Amino acid sequence: MGGDFAPKEIIAGARAAVDELGLSVILVGVPELLGDPLGLEVFACSEVIAMDDDPAASVRKKKDSSLVRAAELVRDGKACAMVSAGNTGATMASALLRMGRLPGVVRPCIATPIPNPGHTPMVLVDAGANSECTAEMLVQFALMASTFVKARYNVERPRVGLLSIGEESTKGTPLVKETHQLLLALEGLNFVGNVEGRDLVPAPVDVVVTDGFTGNVALKTLEGALKFIFATVLSALDTNDETRAAGDVLFEYLLPLAAELTPENQGGAMLLGLEGICVISHGSSNATAIKNALRVASEMDTANVVAKLRLAIRPDQP
Amino acid sequence: MADAVHPSSLDRAAILGIVRDQLAEILEKSPDEIKEDVSFTDLGADSLALIELVEALEEALGKYSAGFHIDDEDLEGLLSVRDAVNYVADKLQVT
Repeated sequence: MGGDFAPKEIIAGARAAVDELGLSVILVGVPELLGDPLGLEVFACSEVIAMDDDPAASVRKKKDSSLVRAAELVRDGKACAMVSAGNTGATMASALLRMGRLPGVVRPCIATPIPNPGHTPMVLVDAGANSECTAEMLVQFALMASTFVKARYNVERPRVGLLSIGEESTKGTPLVKETHQLLLALEGLNFVGNVEGRDLVPAPVDVVVTDGFTGNVALKTLEGALKFIFATVLSALDTNDETRAAGDVLFEYLLPLAAELTPENQGGAMLLGLEGICVISHGSSNATAIKNALRVASEMDTANVVAKLRLAIRPDQP
Repeated sequence: MADAVHPSSLDRAAILGIVRDQLAEILEKSPDEIKEDVSFTDLGADSLALIELVEALEEALGKYSAGFHIDDEDLEGLLSVRDAVNYVADKLQVT
């Protein structure tokens, strides 16, 4: 029950998910802090993990926190997924420690869909879970993200790119070069080679793989740049009567594009590699963003994503 | 719940085996790769992996000492496999 606009926007989003999408939603939180739950079921707990709490340590210390309890509901089969707009690190730690990793998964990763107007979203992985990675971890991320894209967006053979500073296999850090070779050798993965930062939008691939540090920097750079471009265009259209008139005409075409690019409509990022579904919403999520995050969580359950990831990592042990 | 096993059935080698097995499972490595003198950092264990280890050890060692618990305040001092083994041995008074 975290996030910049919690609990009001979170509860409103959950209510909308029930009313408009027909989902069943359990609010997990401290009743005194929730306020009016708008008729939704509440699973009461007594603690909250704050945005500035240490992620791993807080999961140990605050065993009756909303994040830990939500992850336990998934672990115990009482919920099919958890959604949080709270402390990202603690969300991941709660999900990892309570749901557990899929067999064979070294570390779970954050998969973030990046809007790709006119196409299915490109999925950036790892968008921030693991600052330091090995080549083997990146290969697993690629495999899991590819499986996710196939299941979630019905892309038959997702094209996978490795983020680097040049298309040539000889470009990049030792980690990137080693990963490139491993991805080339991996059967069943549609690895198309290196991609660069400029390829994130529009993306010529369905999956971009990188370490969590680079991925998070790339993601935040992209978000900042998009906000800046929107603000600049709006400012230019508000220059004088003539530009405002032009704006009136253009808005009809710009608004759908803006809606497609806005994070609220993407539904958040997914944690891949766990024995359960966990969707991480943006900290600034409003009711629309939460409703969409709940929709995505439900769709991931329907698409049986966890079972497909399990099979992708350990094809010999279905 | 399984019956408690007395800590006297444990020796330092057995504790090392438990720590290696748990860490190997968490890091997806072979237990043979988990050498006693290696630091957690060199094994690639981040803070989350260490918390996983702590919880796994508490569960595995709970059958020798009911409610076996690793204090969060002590975690900072556990930097290597040897540190973890020594810590557990001290706690369970195993020589």
